[in-house]
Amino acid sequence: MNTTELLDQFVTEAREGLEAIGERLLEVERNPADAALLNDLFRLVHTLKGNCGLFEFKPLERVVHAGEDLLDRVRQGKLPYGPELADALLDAMDYSAELIDRIEREQRLDTADARADALAKALRALLPDTPALDGSEQTAHAPAAAPPQEPPAWLTRIPANLATNAPAGATALRYLPEPDCFFKGEDPWRLALTAPGLLHAGVAENAPWPQDAAALADWDCYRCNLDIVLVSAAAKAELEQHFRCVPEQVEWHGLAAVPQPAAGEAPPALRERASAIWHEQLALLSRPSVAPHSVEAARRALRGLLCAAPWADSEAAMATLDALPRPLEAAALAAWASVHGPAPRTAAAVPDDSRRTEESTGGERTQRVLKVGQEKVDRLMDLIGEMVVAKNGLPYLAQRAETTFGQRELAREIKAQYGVIHRIAEDMQRAIMEVRMLPVGVVFQRFGRLVRDLSRRLGKEVQLLVEGEDTEADKNVIEALADPLIHILRNSLDHGIEQPAQRLAAGKPAHGTIRITARQEGDRVVIEIADDGAGVNAARVRAKAVERGLVPEDRAAALSDEQAVQLIFLPGFSTADTVSDLSGRGVGMDVVRTAVERVNGQVTLSSRPGLGTSLRLSLPLSMAVSNVMVIESAGRRFGVPMDLIVETVRVHGDDIHHFKQARTTVLRGRIVPLRELNDLLALDAPQRANDDGELAVLVVRLGAENVGLVVDQFHGASDIILKPLEGVLAGMTGFAGTALMGDGGVLMILNPKELL
Amino acid sequence: MNRILVIDDAATVRLYHRKLLGDAGWHTEEASNGVEALERLHAEAGQAPFDLYVVDVNMPKLDGYGFVRELRRLPLVHQAPVVMVSTEAQARDASAALDAGANVYLVKPARPGALVLTAALLLGAREIARTTAQGVQR
Repeated sequence: MNTTELLDQFVTEAREGLEAIGERLLEVERNPADAALLNDLFRLVHTLKGNCGLFEFKPLERVVHAGEDLLDRVRQGKLPYGPELADALLDAMDYSAELIDRIEREQRLDTADARADALAKALRALLPDTPALDGSEQTAHAPAAAPPQEPPAWLTRIPANLATNAPAGATALRYLPEPDCFFKGEDPWRLALTAPGLLHAGVAENAPWPQDAAALADWDCYRCNLDIVLVSAAAKAELEQHFRCVPEQVEWHGLAAVPQPAAGEAPPALRERASAIWHEQLALLSRPSVAPHSVEAARRALRGLLCAAPWADSEAAMATLDALPRPLEAAALAAWASVHGPAPRTAAAVPDDSRRTEESTGGERTQRVLKVGQEKVDRLMDLIGEMVVAKNGLPYLAQRAETTFGQRELAREIKAQYGVIHRIAEDMQRAIMEVRMLPVGVVFQRFGRLVRDLSRRLGKEVQLLVEGEDTEADKNVIEALADPLIHILRNSLDHGIEQPAQRLAAGKPAHGTIRITARQEGDRVVIEIADDGAGVNAARVRAKAVERGLVPEDRAAALSDEQAVQLIFLPGFSTADTVSDLSGRGVGMDVVRTAVERVNGQVTLSSRPGLGTSLRLSLPLSMAVSNVMVIESAGRRFGVPMDLIVETVRVHGDDIHHFKQARTTVLRGRIVPLRELNDLLALDAPQRANDDGELAVLVVRLGAENVGLVVDQFHGASDIILKPLEGVLAGMTGFAGTALMGDGGVLMILNPKELL
Repeated sequence: MNRILVIDDAATVRLYHRKLLGDAGWHTEEASNGVEALERLHAEAGQAPFDLYVVDVNMPKLDGYGFVRELRRLPLVHQAPVVMVSTEAQARDASAALDAGANVYLVKPARPGALVLTAALLLGAREIARTTAQGVQR
C-alpha cells in the first residue's frame, strides 16, 4: 500500500483539524457554556487522534489523547473551562502543529519526545483525579493509557511480507548496542550478522544523525548509534545464547506463525475470523427484536461464511440454510446457526478488537472538492489574461477592414464575432477568478489568537469582533493582506487600547473592543479595523513629523487634525525609539501603506481623540487584470487606473477660474483644483478644447481630495494586464506601468498619485 | 466486481480503508457521513447496489447506527452486509452496532488483515477469500 499518499492526506487533514481546533478553543473561551461548540471541539480532537492511530506517531498521539481526555471532562461538565486550561490546550495544539510539520518533512516521527511528554503531562495535570470517578469510567479509561501487548513500534521496520509470513516460531528482535560498546571490544554489526537462522537484518540510527555543522562539531564518531532489527528462524534459546553478552540490549518479540494454507483448505486465520463473525451473527440474532432485513442480512452473511471458510459439514449446512423458510424468524435462524456453526471460539481465538478504549468522531469538513496546485490556476489566469488582451485586437481589425480595405460587411461580421468572443472571455475570466477567490476569514482566523495572547501579555482586556469574514477576494490579495493587518492589530493593541484603569477613568468599559469588518463595495473589498482606544494624538503627530523633518513647521501647523494624522503614513515617520513614546498609533504605518499599495489598494485612517481609531483598507477583488480609462493628450494615448477615477466631465473655458498660477473649477458645489496633463508630463503643447470650447477633465481621487486632470480627449475603458516598468524606466514614478494593447501598441499607464 | 462503500467522516480513514480494500482487488467508493451515503443510494437507485458497507460509528449529521437502521429499511439494498468500524471499543458500542443491524464490528484502526478478511468473508466468495487471504500474507 502506498503510504505516502495516506500520509499526505493525514497531514492535510491534521492541519485543517488543528486550525479548526484552535478556532474553537478561542470560541469556547468566550462561550464556555455552548455544549454544541464543545462537542464539535471534542469531535475534532477525536478525529485527529483517531487518524494518528493509523500511523506510528506516538508523541503526537500522546499529546492529542491527553487533550481529548481533558475535553471529554469539560464536555461532561466535570471540569470547568478556564484560561489555564485553554493555555495548556493551545500550547499542546501549537506543538502538535510543529509535529505535523516534522512529519511532513521527515515522513516519520521519533518515538521519544520530551516536549510532547511534558505537554501531555501538563494537560493530564489539569485532569481531576480519575480514580475519584465512578468505576465504569475508570475501567473505560484505564486500558487506553497502557494498551497491553501492543506490538513494539520497531516491528514495522521488518518487511511486511516477512512480518506476516514468517515460518513458525520465528523470532524478531531488536538489538540496541550501548553507545560505548566499541570501547568494550564489541562488534555489534558482526554479532548481529552471525546470529543463527538469520532471515532479515535491518539497521537504522538510534538517535538522529547530526544535521547541521554545529551539531556535527559536538558529534562523537566513536559512539555507537546503531539500532538493529533482526528476524531469525532459530529457536529463541539459541538466539539468547548468541546474544548472551548483551542481554539487556536486546528486545524480543515472537512472530505469530502463519503457515501457508494447504490447497483447498482455508487458512486457520481465515477460519478463526469466520468463526468469530459467525458468533457475532449469532449474537445479533439472539437479541430481543431483530428487524426482518437484519435477519436476511445475517442469513446472507452466514451463507458467505460457510462458503468462504468451510468446516466439516458446510455443504450439508448450506443446503439446510437454503431450505429455511422466508421470511425467517430471528430465533429460527439463531437456532440453526448454533447447530451448524464452527466450534465455539476459544479464548485464544478471540481477536483483541474489544480491548482498546477509544472513540471516533470527525470534523464536518467534507465537501466534494478538487484540490489543484495553485500554479495550475495561475497558468489559467495568465492565459485568460492574454486572451482578454488578444481579443481586443479584433475591433482594430474590423476598423482596418472597413477603412483600409473598404469591407464594410466584413467589418460588421468581425465586430459581431468580437462581441461573442468578448462575452465568453469575460465569463471565463470571471470563472477562473472565482476559483482563486478565498474568503477573507482565512486571514482573520489567526487574529483571535494574536489578540488573545498579546492582550494578556500587555495586561489589557480586549475583545475582537469580526464581521463579514465570508467576503471573498483573490488569493494573492488576501495573502498580501495578512501582514499589514497584523501590523495594524498590534498597533491597536499596543498603542490604541488603553490599560483597563485608564479606560475606566475615561468613562469607558474596562475591556477594549477591536472590530474588523470586511465587505464588498463594487469591485473592491473594503476592510475596516476600528478600535475604541485613545485615538491618534494629532498634535504629537505634527510635532513628530516636524522633528523628523518630514514637513516644514508652517505646513504642519496649517494641516487640519484629520490631515495631520495621515502623516503617520509617511516613510520615516516612525523609528524604533518612538514605539513606546507615541501614545497613539504610528509604528511603521508606512510599511502597511506600502504593502497595501503594492496590491493596488488604498489605506486611510480616521481618528477621534478619546474615542478610537479606524483604518480603512480598500483592495481590488483581483489584481490580474486592471481596468483603465484611455485618454489622449498632445496626440499620445495614456491609461489611467479606473479605480482612481471619480468622474469625467467637460468644463467650458469660461468656468475655469485662474488664481495666480493655480486653476480651479467648481463641480457640484466643490472647488476642484485643475492640473494640465501636458504640463505634468512636460509635453510642450497646450491642452486642446473641443469645438464648443470645452476642456476634457478627468477627476481623480487622491486620498481625501479630488483633483481634475485636464486632457485632450477621452477614449473608452479597456482591460489590460499591467506590466511594471523595467530597466532604465523603472525609476519613473509618474507611471504605474505599461500595457500591451490589442493593436500591438504599448499604452503607458499613469500613476496620478505620484504625478500630482 | 464487488463494490464497497466506505463511510467515514475522517478523510484519512476513508483513504486508509479504501486503500486496504482496493489493494485487495475491490472497487471502493466513499461517503463522508450517513446522510451523504443515503443520498448516494437514492441517487443510484436502479443500479447494481453496493455489495458491502464499511461504516464509521461517530459521524456528523447521521451516525453509523442511524445509517445502518435506514439501510435495513431500504428495498433492494437492505440485505447488504455492513462492517462497522469505530475506535469505541466499549462493549455497549459493539452491541449497539449489532443492534442497529451491522453484521460485524471492528475496532479502529482496523488491522489490514482483519478488515480484508472480514470483507472477504462477508462478500462470501471463496475465490476472493482465498486470494486476499494469500494477499494479506504476502
